[in-house]
Amino acid sequence: MANPVGLASGTIGYGTEYEDLVGVDAAGALYTKAVTVEPRAGNRVPRIVETPSGMLNSIGLANPGIEAFIRDKLPELRTRRCAVIVNVAGGSEEEYARVVELIEAEAGAEAGAEPRLPGAPEAGAGGTGVDGYEINVSCPNVHSGGLAFGTDPTQVERLTRALRGLTRRPIIVKLTPNVTDITAIARAAEAGGADAVSCINTLVGMTIDIARCRPHLAMGTGGLSGPAVLPVGVASCYKASRAVKIPVIGLGGIMSADDALQYLLAGARAIQVGTGTFVDPRCASRVLSGIEAWMEKNGVARIEDIAGMLRP
Amino acid sequence: MRQFEAEILGNRRVAESWRELSFAWESGAAAPEPGQFFTFKASASSDPLLRRPLAFSGFAEADGGAAASGARAAKASAIYQVRGQATSLLADMAIGSRIDIIGSLGRPFPKPLEGDVPVITGGGIGLGPVLFLDAELRARGLEPILVLGLRSSSLLPSIKLPEGAVLCTDDGSAGFRGTTVDWISRNASEAAGGKPLRLYACGPGPMLAALADLAAERSWPGWFSAEQWMACGVGACMGCALPRADGKGYLRACADGPVFDARDIAWGAER
Repeated sequence: MANPVGLASGTIGYGTEYEDLVGVDAAGALYTKAVTVEPRAGNRVPRIVETPSGMLNSIGLANPGIEAFIRDKLPELRTRRCAVIVNVAGGSEEEYARVVELIEAEAGAEAGAEPRLPGAPEAGAGGTGVDGYEINVSCPNVHSGGLAFGTDPTQVERLTRALRGLTRRPIIVKLTPNVTDITAIARAAEAGGADAVSCINTLVGMTIDIARCRPHLAMGTGGLSGPAVLPVGVASCYKASRAVKIPVIGLGGIMSADDALQYLLAGARAIQVGTGTFVDPRCASRVLSGIEAWMEKNGVARIEDIAGMLRP
Repeated sequence: MRQFEAEILGNRRVAESWRELSFAWESGAAAPEPGQFFTFKASASSDPLLRRPLAFSGFAEADGGAAASGARAAKASAIYQVRGQATSLLADMAIGSRIDIIGSLGRPFPKPLEGDVPVITGGGIGLGPVLFLDAELRARGLEPILVLGLRSSSLLPSIKLPEGAVLCTDDGSAGFRGTTVDWISRNASEAAGGKPLRLYACGPGPMLAALADLAAERSWPGWFSAEQWMACGVGACMGCALPRADGKGYLRACADGPVFDARDIAWGAER
């Protein structure tokens, strides 16, 4: 990746939606909306509600399915000059594996095995369109009573290992904060062969309309994101980065360079902007220039050196 | 679509809890069309966090040549209801201050077919976009039938309404006593002189649901503008979904709409 600022899955679509407003290619990486084997219409509505300094969503992984993704979305993604990471979701190990297998078959096993840099010869129209996978382990496992994969270290390790066997491309496991000990899950991903972990996915939350005596969201609960979750994300990155040797990618509530720098100081090697893009599509570029200005002011040459600057 | 900092040119109260905002339109950005909307950020703080969508209620092209002194910028406007934190903050914004705008967003109302009589219906705060559509069609020489519905005459905004507009109030305090759908059901065909009707509407869910039923019953084509909570406004987040009439999933209010063929959405199915 050319720079440490990625655009988080579920907030940037497949890159084209924001095209008129921002240069998506200027990001370090674009994380696609989650892709599942079958098309998913998504959850009943309302799906989103605003909360104090945050928002709840229960979109339900709405996506056109892997076939349509390869047919309709991948050609456009291949023209991207930023790294493209496909976010993968499923209800069983087989479903995750199927998505990865089909993309590998389409994009080629070799090309793109190393993350591309912008301007490098393989970038642009000749790219494979896929520079890695981000595994959304917050989905319920239909074979384990609907308990999310990501809450059980054994399942995370097994799933990661299964996918590891299918691709040479980088695998990033996206950790859920809805667990007792996020370090156990991070270690499980590392043991399974993940190249990195990203944290955090959204926190389970709920708000209730007291006039109607029912939840605001049709599904009852949803995932909390936005500035409200920033301290949870920073603490998760701090803990996870001390538990594993693989890089940690931080996300959760980043609206500014100051927020991103908290993650980098906590131990993250890269970050993602998610809800911040909804609020201001220029958020990611503001974050990047702010990080660069801070590094220059503090005489820091490399992103990975920032983590070591945290004092007790 | 463009993102820009717009100068606020007007922000006045037009009815109890309703206001009209107008702001300078970015030169070079495509002019908004009736049915389209914009999003604004009400505050630089994180609370309220999300941008809010508002439908355009009017647009005036730039006045005077570029060289002429005193040339006015193009002006866009919207009628909004003060009903939460974001709109309260918007109500407090002073003329001359700047506001973060993204627009124009969404699909506009399609143009009427030759020979059709447009019946334009606005319920409650949905009156903004229909006034815009009405003005545009009149400017093109058409004579739409404009039907506006309010709960009571006390909510009548201090906005110049087109001559001949039909006013309906639930309590009968002004105009026709009853809903817009009641009036259209009884009078629209006659008012159109027997010519084919084409419905255009924006308003509360129950109004659109009733109007969709009527349109289906009479085989009138219709284009309705929907409202839904949204996060991004550009088609990325899938938050502003509306259930399709055929039961096959959802359409996005922001990017597939907000204006839909009346037959495409299960109006009233959304909570």
